[in-house]
Amino acid sequence: MIRKEINRISEVGKALISVEGNPGVALNHVVELLEADTKQSLSFAKAINITEKSTRFQVFNGTQGLSTQTKIRMHEVPLTAGFSYNMLGRSFDGVGKVADGGPEVIFDKQVSTRLDTLNPTVRLVPKQALWTGIPMIDVFNTLVKSQKIPIFAGPTEPYNRLLSQIAQGAQADIIIFAGIGLKFDEYQYFKKQLSQSGNIDKTIMFSHLAGDSQIKGLMLPDVALGVAREFADQGKDVLVLLTDMTNWSNILRNVANYQDQIPSLQGYPGSLYSELAKRYEVAADIDGAGSITIIGATTLESLEDPVPDNTGYITEGQLFLENGKLKLARSLSRLKQAVNGKTRDDHRPIMTAMASLLAEAEKAYEAAEVGAANDAFSQKLLSYREDFITNMEEPFGEPIELELALDRCWDILKRHFEPTETGLSKKLIEKYWDL
Amino acid sequence: MNQVGSFRREEKSIMGSSKKRTGTLISIQDSLVKARFYQDVIMGETAEITVEGKQLQAEVLQIEAESTGENTGIVEMQVFEDLTGAQIGDLVEFKGKPLSVLLGPGLLTSIWDGLQNPLYKLSEQNAYLVPGMKAPALDEEKLWNFTPMLKVGDIVKGGDAIGSVPEGRLEHKILVPFSFGKCKIESIEAKCELNITQQVAMIIDEQNNSHILKLVFHQPVKSPIPFKERAIPSDTISTGVRVIDLLAPVGYGGTVGNPGPFGAGKTVLQHSLCKYALADIIIMAACGERAGEAVEVFKDFAELEDPSTGESLMNRMCIFGNTSSMPVAAREASVFIALTVGEYYRYQGYNVILLADSTSRWAQALRERSGRQGDIPGPEAFPMDIPDQIKGMYQRAGADAGTGGSLTFIGTVSPAGGNFQEPVTQSTMDATGGFWGLSQDRADAKKYPAIDPLVYTNSVYDSFISDTDRNKILQTLHEANGIDQTISTIGLKKVPLDKYVQYQKGQTIDFCVMQQDAFHEIDACTRPERLGLINIAVQKLIDNPIEFSQNEMEDEELKAVVKTKFDELRQWWKDWNSSAQNEEQLDGLSNKIEQFIKQEEVVL
Repeated sequence: MIRKEINRISEVGKALISVEGNPGVALNHVVELLEADTKQSLSFAKAINITEKSTRFQVFNGTQGLSTQTKIRMHEVPLTAGFSYNMLGRSFDGVGKVADGGPEVIFDKQVSTRLDTLNPTVRLVPKQALWTGIPMIDVFNTLVKSQKIPIFAGPTEPYNRLLSQIAQGAQADIIIFAGIGLKFDEYQYFKKQLSQSGNIDKTIMFSHLAGDSQIKGLMLPDVALGVAREFADQGKDVLVLLTDMTNWSNILRNVANYQDQIPSLQGYPGSLYSELAKRYEVAADIDGAGSITIIGATTLESLEDPVPDNTGYITEGQLFLENGKLKLARSLSRLKQAVNGKTRDDHRPIMTAMASLLAEAEKAYEAAEVGAANDAFSQKLLSYREDFITNMEEPFGEPIELELALDRCWDILKRHFEPTETGLSKKLIEKYWDL
Repeated sequence: MNQVGSFRREEKSIMGSSKKRTGTLISIQDSLVKARFYQDVIMGETAEITVEGKQLQAEVLQIEAESTGENTGIVEMQVFEDLTGAQIGDLVEFKGKPLSVLLGPGLLTSIWDGLQNPLYKLSEQNAYLVPGMKAPALDEEKLWNFTPMLKVGDIVKGGDAIGSVPEGRLEHKILVPFSFGKCKIESIEAKCELNITQQVAMIIDEQNNSHILKLVFHQPVKSPIPFKERAIPSDTISTGVRVIDLLAPVGYGGTVGNPGPFGAGKTVLQHSLCKYALADIIIMAACGERAGEAVEVFKDFAELEDPSTGESLMNRMCIFGNTSSMPVAAREASVFIALTVGEYYRYQGYNVILLADSTSRWAQALRERSGRQGDIPGPEAFPMDIPDQIKGMYQRAGADAGTGGSLTFIGTVSPAGGNFQEPVTQSTMDATGGFWGLSQDRADAKKYPAIDPLVYTNSVYDSFISDTDRNKILQTLHEANGIDQTISTIGLKKVPLDKYVQYQKGQTIDFCVMQQDAFHEIDACTRPERLGLINIAVQKLIDNPIEFSQNEMEDEELKAVVKTKFDELRQWWKDWNSSAQNEEQLDGLSNKIEQFIKQEEVVL
């Protein structure tokens, strides 16, 4: 098939190029950039802004080395991703090209990366718990299949370790790893962990390393999620690990700035919320098919930063990692109510009781700093707080089953309080206090 | 109403000439396009753009004449669907009608996207929402049992009822479209069964043009349906949420802004209102929020009972779901469409509550658009006129003494960074009569609902309790909060006993009355009668001094006794909240408080 070619690039910028006139490219369609003399393929690019006078493209491999002489070949289709079960166990880049040095993969089909919205009526109301063996998650913030939830953490926190721990025990048919702006050691760490836990054969890795072309990083979630969605459509339960969406948002910001868009907060484009939502909303339990669960990582300096702030409004809760501990106060699984009422009868009440005692304890802790926590109850609260942080907020270690974790909760309460101080009902106290 | 006038003329001229007005695309960027046109284009009219054989809906935002050509100009439009595949030269056809909503029987129980496409019908075509998919907004086959109210020769005008059909347990009046002036009925069906595509009547206007009426008609969403006789909201809505009904109530026809940082419980509160607020109709505009939450409403709530009728809760609801991953341009439309449906039922005399979640996403949609259009940005890059747009939106709510109906508008706000100083929250506070601010601190302490009674909470509407009682509760909570801060700065030892008792009273009111378990079948909803009993108990607790001193006990020891006693009371009250149902159990609360005040030694 002969493809139309364009001969003159009018502008080469950071990550973007423009051509003059209207070559007949359609919005979001892909073109291939060719070396002028040898016609060797240099990169692909996507049309993002089209007018009568000029057309602008995002260049997947970056614009280094391009010139006004570079040729453009039109492909007349939007970006698709290759799909095949042969992808399992393999690594790909942000636009779905083999990136592990292994043989090329023969794809069964090409899937759309447009991430059309799933019709809400086709969604099931998620009701199936996803157990992790981590008490802070299973007791206090139970996860649910098809949930979308990020880990919020400072850049130096072990968020990738937590992500991989959750993945190891995950009840999923397929794991899609989507890493944007990774450091090489992080990439290796995940690969090793997934191999050691025996999950590598059901995993596909899409990785973009820090320093790789920005546009490839920008495209990566769409490619990874497009592939994940195809598995789900075929009836599989898919777990997507998305790290780190702050890196992705920063690429989005850079590219918006190259395009001279008017920034809203801290330089991010006004569309940040919609752009993040479009990716996270791919998580779904699909009626008559499989499911997609997204557990992500969002690094942050402050919760008020636009990326975590917008993410919090989009995702179904967040797990807050601080000083290596999963903090109860800011963590939340929005879907936990769908499952934690069907477990042991003390699950919900003890969760509420321990949480409000911890909030009181935090107040007492602040008071203690100015020497004002001198009454007996405040002292109880303070020792409870210590115990809680050590025994409940620790995410790493051997997995613990829910019932054992609940028993551990009662033990902690008994160590510090009288029954009435807990705010738990008489009925439950009678049932569990003197076990 | 010039806008409507020009559209009506346009409609006629198009019908007369049957000539299509078209243009071609000359610029495409995200959801914003420009086209060159050759005849006339009307501000705000809708258009269809043909992209790869599919028709995509668009709305005109701006028109400019071109200096070069004759009769040509450039029109700027926002497109409501994804434009992938669009090219320069693609055909645009102008429709001559502004963005409209189809009004008529069958609205209730429906679930649409932001442009009134029925989602269940679309799912028969594809599991995904692919650009260009369409389906009739209302069921075209269902038969409705029409009963005429007027006869041939009667004079009618826009908004008058010519008959009615039963819609569930409501009587759905068939109205003459609001754009009509004085007309005479030339023919009208007798009592019969009709679907919405069939003629129900023929009317003749004063220019002797005849018009066919059906059970349904289109109403432009940005032209509010008028009030017959606008009134100040007077009756209080029983929402079932204690902190709201006691301290920050809302009346039928009122407006409330409900801001809160993420995780503070906006969604749970919205769902509570959906389930328990007493109203004829609840409209939910899921605007730019999670799809899962809307799904929970239409899938799980269908199994719940309507508190006033005992029927399925969905029978009193309709849902517009423009969720966060759907095209942004349709977000603005979704809120206006929902408002228009609300006004329509208000005009029929029903009490309607519109829950819009979230108005911030609506404002962000305007921000994205104005950014693309290159407008000079206001604070935080929102359009400069955002306060006026927000006010205009809330103003469409209200009570109508002429019809007996009302439209209550409760809008959630999602402030960036949880900061209530941001433009949308501030403008909303300015525009609404009630304000329910959710607090991060209370949410962190899992004190739900996290509406902070002391900060950012107010209401101009009447409560179920007297102003005196309401103020006494607020004052007690304020004092307790003050003493709490004193305790954390100077320690419990230095706080006098009577202050400590006062603090414990405030804590008790907070724990047992302000906090409520939205997931517990009994505690989740408190009706006015029960609320009255609670208020009596609360007032007794506030009014009466309690004598705890026993046999010269040390101060510290005594405070420990006070705490234990109050802890026991709170545990008892919490149990009462989740168990008391019959009269005897309900009366138990008042007795318990009396005993507590006297500190009589009774077995707990």
